[in-house]
Amino acid sequence: MSLSTALERLAKYRTNNTRASQKTFEQGCLILKSGPTTKLGDEGWAFLEQLALASIDVGRLDISDECLKQLAEKFPRSPRVDVLTGIRMEATESPETVLQYYGELLEEDSANAAVWKRRISVIRRTGKLEKAVEELSLFLDTFYTDVEGWLELADIYSSCNQYTHALQALSHALLLAPQNPFTFLQFAETAYTSGDLPLALKMFLLVVEMGERGASPDAPPTGIQIRAWLGVKLCARRLVYSPHVSSASDTPVPKTIKLIDELATERVLAAYGGQKETGSKHVTDWLASR
Amino acid sequence: MDASRTPFPTLIMTGRLFLLLATLAIFHAAYSTYEHLSHLKALGRPGGSLPQSIILETLVGLVLGILGASLNAPELKEITWASEMQKHKIDEMDSRLGFASFVTRGRNILSSSSKSSAKEIQ
Repeated sequence: MSLSTALERLAKYRTNNTRASQKTFEQGCLILKSGPTTKLGDEGWAFLEQLALASIDVGRLDISDECLKQLAEKFPRSPRVDVLTGIRMEATESPETVLQYYGELLEEDSANAAVWKRRISVIRRTGKLEKAVEELSLFLDTFYTDVEGWLELADIYSSCNQYTHALQALSHALLLAPQNPFTFLQFAETAYTSGDLPLALKMFLLVVEMGERGASPDAPPTGIQIRAWLGVKLCARRLVYSPHVSSASDTPVPKTIKLIDELATERVLAAYGGQKETGSKHVTDWLASR
Repeated sequence: MDASRTPFPTLIMTGRLFLLLATLAIFHAAYSTYEHLSHLKALGRPGGSLPQSIILETLVGLVLGILGASLNAPELKEITWASEMQKHKIDEMDSRLGFASFVTRGRNILSSSSKSSAKEIQ
């Protein structure tokens, strides 16, 4: 694995927000050992931050200390380095110490979104979900366009089975990132879990439509389209047998529900009917059952 | 440019050939113009017009250059959101790294001190 390919891969992880900590750690250590990171230029500092986070995740606090030392030397009073120091403290100190540290940082600069997010993360980790939700709502009132924050709020509500509030948080995320089919899929699956089948069906069909722009209609579904078609089949199957189910959001059931059911069956079979046939028998059994 | 990655390597070769020919044609026409003008100056008729062949050579160089540059262009990239979203995975889109908890089981399983204690237990 050459240095330049490793650097490229790590840069791709950074742009895609991937959290593959073990791989990042292995490749990052190679780069760290190969020489001083000053010769990497501007990218070297972002790489050090990424390696520090990955090594804390993996448990190698010695490597993260080294990265942190280099970053602190170069950027003495930077808020980003302060956040990284805080994360390093989270790994060893008690939550109260860490919360006090973050509180001090927020007193100095109350508009520091990253520190506020870490504080909320620590509060959630210690189990005080009500307080976490309160702080997160305050944060989102201030920084409305933070899609991450809305997704985190939806996750906290879903973990407590409060699906209506989760759907409300997800709808804000949908407003902010309407081109992202993954959020629509999460919305559809949350709606299905909360029992609102017509709404879930509508959202699954939206995900399908978003993926079809530009793809040929006869090709078998790939990626999250398979998940969306499975969701359509799940909803359509129940709605065919009981078409007058009540919907909490007053979404009407489509009149062509039988046709949608057939289409979903055909699409799921197309997705799993390839040469590899991994699980196609299970899928056909499931489709044939009630 | 890696010719093995493009679908039509012959097009790229043709494009580069055209560009080369166009460059040579332009340089040759420029040199001929210079020679012709110095010839006219030597004969004492400095305001004479250029011969047709040089103008034709320049125009041929222009056409070949345009064709060569178009054929030599890199592959077109996708611009739709749908194609962009195809490349991502759910874990990437839902990672929420600003809120991620870095206090995980990883440090108990993967750190070196825990490996030695695991050996002691065995």
